[in-house]
Amino acid sequence: MRKYTPTFLAVILFSVFSLSLAQKLTFWHYWDGANGQVLQNLIDQYQEENPGITIEAVFVPGSELVSKLQTAIAGRQTPTMAISDLVAMPFLTSSGALVALDDYISESNVDMSDYFAGPLVYGLRDGKRYSLPVSASNLALFWNKAIFAEAGLDPDTPPETWEELVEMAQIIKEKTGKWGYELFTQGGEGTSWQWQVFLWNKGGDVLSGDLSSPAFNSEAGFEALQFWVDLIDEYEVSTVAPWGLFGRGEAAMVMDGSWMTQFFPMQVNFELGSAVFPYPEGGEIATNMGGEQIFIFNTDPETQQAAWNFIEWFSSTPVQVEWDRGTGFIPIKESVANDSTYIAWVKNARPLLLPFVESMPYANPRPPVTKYPQISDTLANYIVEALYGRMSPQEALNTAAQEAAPLLR
Amino acid sequence: MTLSRPQVHNEGRAKRPTFMRTFKNLPIALFFLLPTVVILGTFNFYPALYSLYLSFFEWNGVSPKRPFVGLDNYQRLFSSSEFWNSLQVTVIYAAAMTVAALALGMIVAVLLNQDIRGRALYRALYFLPVITPTVAAGVVWKYLFDPSQGVINRFLAGSGITGPSWLTDPSWALVAIVIVGVWKRVGFNMVVYLAALQGVPRIYYEAAQLDGASPWQRFRFVTLPLLAPSTFFLTVTALIDAFQVFDLVYVMTQGGPLKSTDVIGYYLYRYGFRYYELGFASAIAYVMFALIFVVTLIQFRLSRGGAQGEN
Amino acid sequence: MKTNPLRSVLTHLLLLTGAFISAMPFLWMVTTSLKPAGVLYQAPLLIPTYFEWSNYVEAWKAAPFPRFFLNSAIMTIGITLGQTLFSAMAGYAFARLRFPGRDVLFFLILGTMMIPFPVTLIPSFLIIADLGWLDTYQALIVPRVVSAFAIFLFRQFFLSIPQELEEAALIDGANRVVIFARIILPLSTPVMAASAIFSFLFAWNDFLWPLIVTNSTEMRPIQVGLAFFQGQYGIFWTLLMAATVLATIPAILAFLVAQQRFIEGITSSGLKG
Repeated sequence: MRKYTPTFLAVILFSVFSLSLAQKLTFWHYWDGANGQVLQNLIDQYQEENPGITIEAVFVPGSELVSKLQTAIAGRQTPTMAISDLVAMPFLTSSGALVALDDYISESNVDMSDYFAGPLVYGLRDGKRYSLPVSASNLALFWNKAIFAEAGLDPDTPPETWEELVEMAQIIKEKTGKWGYELFTQGGEGTSWQWQVFLWNKGGDVLSGDLSSPAFNSEAGFEALQFWVDLIDEYEVSTVAPWGLFGRGEAAMVMDGSWMTQFFPMQVNFELGSAVFPYPEGGEIATNMGGEQIFIFNTDPETQQAAWNFIEWFSSTPVQVEWDRGTGFIPIKESVANDSTYIAWVKNARPLLLPFVESMPYANPRPPVTKYPQISDTLANYIVEALYGRMSPQEALNTAAQEAAPLLR
Repeated sequence: MTLSRPQVHNEGRAKRPTFMRTFKNLPIALFFLLPTVVILGTFNFYPALYSLYLSFFEWNGVSPKRPFVGLDNYQRLFSSSEFWNSLQVTVIYAAAMTVAALALGMIVAVLLNQDIRGRALYRALYFLPVITPTVAAGVVWKYLFDPSQGVINRFLAGSGITGPSWLTDPSWALVAIVIVGVWKRVGFNMVVYLAALQGVPRIYYEAAQLDGASPWQRFRFVTLPLLAPSTFFLTVTALIDAFQVFDLVYVMTQGGPLKSTDVIGYYLYRYGFRYYELGFASAIAYVMFALIFVVTLIQFRLSRGGAQGEN
Repeated sequence: MKTNPLRSVLTHLLLLTGAFISAMPFLWMVTTSLKPAGVLYQAPLLIPTYFEWSNYVEAWKAAPFPRFFLNSAIMTIGITLGQTLFSAMAGYAFARLRFPGRDVLFFLILGTMMIPFPVTLIPSFLIIADLGWLDTYQALIVPRVVSAFAIFLFRQFFLSIPQELEEAALIDGANRVVIFARIILPLSTPVMAASAIFSFLFAWNDFLWPLIVTNSTEMRPIQVGLAFFQGQYGIFWTLLMAATVLATIPAILAFLVAQQRFIEGITSSGLKG
């Protein structure tokens, strides 16, 4: 490596030189298209307000961001800060490469009690906080108004309970021949995180309170999975098919994410509505939650401080209002969700988003454990076994729990 | 030059050179191989060995904790029913895809090596699948395989056959993946065969024709033996690729339904990149490697050094 | 020999069917790229009836594509030249020279094709980081200028060239390097064209490695640009397909150029007779 010493020296000299003049921070994210543009605009605004600070936002495709961070951490070539999908946070905090934010938070104006509880379970390790939520998304019901009308149903009244959902779906199937409700039957995270909503609807949970053992193989779980099986076999309003029936107008209702309030209107040729996802009579309103967290990598105190200053600014309510209006992300803080300009924007510009914003207090996080992806896949595999009639719901969930248990030790 | 019959020359078979003679060739061989050895040594051999080393550890790729676990990863692998399922799926895929794509590639190449109208256009069209990005290809094939809307089942319905629900039927999903794999490979095989067919001296055909050989006989006794080195090359590389197939499965079925398309490449991806088990994924990679290596060695043995066709 | 007209019709019918199946997904790509987003899910799927050319404009503007094309071109040319030359050299050594350890080395090289690339990602990245090559063209090109696949392809081709051609030259006192450059390479245009097109496609479509070793947008190749349309939250199909069609054009052109070499042989391969 001797040969490369001059290069290293040059890099160090350059860094020292540039530090004395100005600070350059790099920021890796996966916000594409319009979202990336909104971020850039906000960064430009921040740079204008803070001369001497340059933030270089680098887009990394979402499917590869974690791999890129993984190699960067292994090679000690990390950016100043980055975001990630919240599910990857337990993995990222295991690296020891992130900066604990507790001291920064306590010395700043960031009010942790203003945040929705759900996203805050991520980014914690050994009692310290390593990341802050910056955006959220969640799930709710979409329905096809044209199919509702065709079936003689009121196109503006979605089901509020599972029972109504079944009733309407059966009328639709009978009158139009189209599927009443589209289930995600292909396994993986898609099946898992949608099913978790039904589990919570029934009052169940994915893991035990201390995250040490599976809890989905409960009475609530059996009933939730039985409901899925019944939608296919008993009520015959759903089918096992590749995902996308709703988008093509072949199914009347579907559970999908808040981001689809942007995509569906662009891509489908029918009118659609959205609503808080139905719950069983005597059950609970619930939704699942996605979103991003922001974090800083270990460098020197000045750079870390500069990165924190940006995060503090980015997390402030006025900036978050602008961010959520620009991107359609769901607010992560109550002060944003209750902000009058934000609410006015949703009502006027993106009414489909309203049920998602209203669902946020009922948004449960997926368990913040490192092995979540594997537990989730295992759960999804056995859900699919039950949907294909290979196992009873009890048998499926008990087997899944048996396989998942060792992953939590 | 005497060319009484098609003959492929394999240096080193006819006369056994002495050690001194082979040693004498070393400097010149080094010259020809230097770039290869330097680049592959640095950027392939070293990382490959490093990953072998990792297969004896439990590591997620970022954690400072990296406990040595000996052969645990391998033991876990061999006792996992998931692994044996993946192995079975992969072997079926590899065998079916390789054979079908080889036969079709050869047919297309032979047909397009004739003096027929539109030859250049045909070649370009048959090569399009190789160029078409996998994401786009996967998406469109998903449409084509759609049980009710898809072109394939509509066509079958037209012939009075009720098509299966391809991608959601555990007994058909792998067939669908094989079809797409073949679709993507035929053009590739065609190009290699076409390049090889250019090397077939015309005189062989002329001689065969003078002997009164039928077109089939000319194909069987002239073309086929002369294409043997290419066939060998294509079989070896197709199997190597097929054992590692990942992207088609990722785009089309995500290993499902019910793990019926959970090929080893996808299995490895899940553990390496979704479950962050780099040590275990490396063990999978090395078992895969051992398997492909043995299969390749057998092929070399059977074909005597990859120069098939010596009579 | 005269061709039977019936046989010729049948041949064309067969070839047309195959060609249609081969081209179908590509057709779909083009058709989708010309649709307004609102009719994405509607038939027709294969023959374009909409002509929303603005998709192309919009896609082109969504990312710094000229720069991405330039990077891809530099990377692809470097890799293709390197792989063709170095692999021909190595293939020749393996086909024609007997030297100690030849077979072992050959199998080691073949073996590199059998290790799934993703598991070597971290160590490969560490080497590039240690060399200080992150975010440079070296990082994109140098590790990939040798291809085991191409070496194997050339070896198989050279094995099928009659050895008599060289023996005469060897007796005349020519050395191996001269023989390789003067006799072997000129004979190898078809296989060089085949190898070059594969190298080209490999380099042009490579995604993960360029993404991992580049950090700035200025160094990214075209495939990373395509990822701009495959967002975390949804895929902009019409724009993605427009950008994909644009990104595919150079590959098609490369094939058309290379294919000249395959055709040429049939009329001018008298030498080999």
